[in-house]
Amino acid sequence: MLDNSFFYFFTLSLFKNRKRYTAILFIATVVLFLLSSVLFISSSIKTSLNTQLKMEPDFVLQNRVGSRVVPMDENVVEKVLDIYGVDKVTKRVYGRYFFDKEHSVLIFGVDFLDEQSNKALENILNKEDLKRFLSSDTMLVGEGVFRYLNSHFYPKAYNFLTPQGKLKRVEILKRLNKSSTLYSSNIAIMPQNLAKEILGLKEKQISDIALNVPNESEQNTVQSKLEGLFFTATLFTKKELQEAYENLFNYKGGLFLSLYLIVIVTLALILYLRYSLASSVEKREVAILRSLGWSIRDVIKLKFFENISIVFFSFTLGTVAGYIYVFMLGAPLLEEIFLGRGLNVRVELLPQVDYLSLSTILILYATTFLSSVLIPVWKVAVTEPKEALN
Amino acid sequence: MVLLENVNRNYSVGGEEHSVLKSISLQVNKGEFVLLRGVSGSGKTTLLSLIAGLEKPSSGKILVDGEPISKLPDIHLSHFRAKKIGMVFQHFNLIESITLLDNVLVPLVALKIGLKEAKKMALEAIKSANIEHKKNAYPTMLSGGEKQRGAIARAIVTKPNLLLCDEPTANLDAQNSITFIESLKKLHAEGKTIIVATHDPIFEQLDIEHTVIDLRDGERV
Repeated sequence: MLDNSFFYFFTLSLFKNRKRYTAILFIATVVLFLLSSVLFISSSIKTSLNTQLKMEPDFVLQNRVGSRVVPMDENVVEKVLDIYGVDKVTKRVYGRYFFDKEHSVLIFGVDFLDEQSNKALENILNKEDLKRFLSSDTMLVGEGVFRYLNSHFYPKAYNFLTPQGKLKRVEILKRLNKSSTLYSSNIAIMPQNLAKEILGLKEKQISDIALNVPNESEQNTVQSKLEGLFFTATLFTKKELQEAYENLFNYKGGLFLSLYLIVIVTLALILYLRYSLASSVEKREVAILRSLGWSIRDVIKLKFFENISIVFFSFTLGTVAGYIYVFMLGAPLLEEIFLGRGLNVRVELLPQVDYLSLSTILILYATTFLSSVLIPVWKVAVTEPKEALN
Repeated sequence: MVLLENVNRNYSVGGEEHSVLKSISLQVNKGEFVLLRGVSGSGKTTLLSLIAGLEKPSSGKILVDGEPISKLPDIHLSHFRAKKIGMVFQHFNLIESITLLDNVLVPLVALKIGLKEAKKMALEAIKSANIEHKKNAYPTMLSGGEKQRGAIARAIVTKPNLLLCDEPTANLDAQNSITFIESLKKLHAEGKTIIVATHDPIFEQLDIEHTVIDLRDGERV
């Protein structure tokens, strides 16, 4: 390659047009940075939600009076267990506790008799911590809750106000692992009885019941049985939750897809205009090359290599910058557009690269970029050189 | 070397046909020195462009070194031009953003000659055109005479048999014009076929054997 005169001329051409190419490289890098950042954020959130969705139960049974969700009697569990095909029935205690009008935490009460909850806790806590967690008023908090309590109250404990007007001091035993992602960022996990006390549930009351039906073909039957048995209750299925997630992402995905297209088309238009209105100097240069024995193909090849270099560098720079911005700096500003502002929650975006989408962007970008440059160049190259030389 | 038979060239301007060359027939033999004379607008430049294959005739036949250049596809025509034809223009047509040495390299890139060999050939051509001391200068830093010597170096770098010069002394002073003519005489002595389109009277003093073709309003006189 070092002895290739075309390669030499190509580097020479890049260098002589360095001001123009630097400007194009800068604009293209910014565009690619924005596109890849949005893509990284959305794929990271999508993966986190999908992981969360996998952990969700197939059905959730809630008691409603009017349109209000009200606590349900835990004896209902016995009736649910009698239904054939039902598995892993869990009595759940949870609810939202408001620190003030704008900031809240989702409290989860864990039943140490429940096998699933115990397994999950064992993954988070060692034996000593587990003992302490179950025997005293302690809680595990998500990253967002920890930050909020740390900055607004105390870093070690918080005094919850019960519906009876009593203060209940609960110590922070541990911060939940960052890798537990966005769902756990805004929660506090505590023993079930403690959670009931803070949320105002009676001893035999629970928030709802979660259950699984391992055999998918039985799910519809189980659903009808549950609806028949508990006509005052509402049944939520995993499918509904999945649809809700998908709707959210299809909406935001559509929005950003439109933005992608607008940005790429605008860039292409700028480039097209830039090359269509090529200055007489540039036209003359092409004519000189042609008159000295360069074929149309040679001229296009030179411009192709020049611009594919810009595409390659801008794509690499843009995506690397996007990766750093999203996964190392936490995507300030853009994160809020995606996640809203709940509880000063800083969601940890876990590195997740959607290679298919990234390749699609590269192909779309490269094709649009190159065609918007090469078509006008081709038009200049096929013009009889004599016109530009006179 | 060059054969034209009944060549016509018309342009369409605003839907109206203008005839620039009318039934031109001529033959230039190998090693011949031809002066193509005529006032501005007589069709000299168009005739040179047709011989170089930079434009196509409306009708008629053009053969250069036996090749029907107006009928060759672009890729073959370009290669043929790079290898067999050297061109010197009135306005020198050097690329201003690269050095003189790199300008001389341009035709060699088209011939896909390795960089090392290409640089060697370019330096030889520059030396032969007596402009070696300015090889690293940009065209904007050169005088008219130096630019024209650079253009000659570029035209002869591929060792073409045919040299086409379009008003080569139009932008040169008397001294530089004489120097340029001396360069042409040297190239002619080396056996190159040279066609010069000019209306510069300085060529009337040309002291070597040459053929004169006069053009007026696109026709041979």
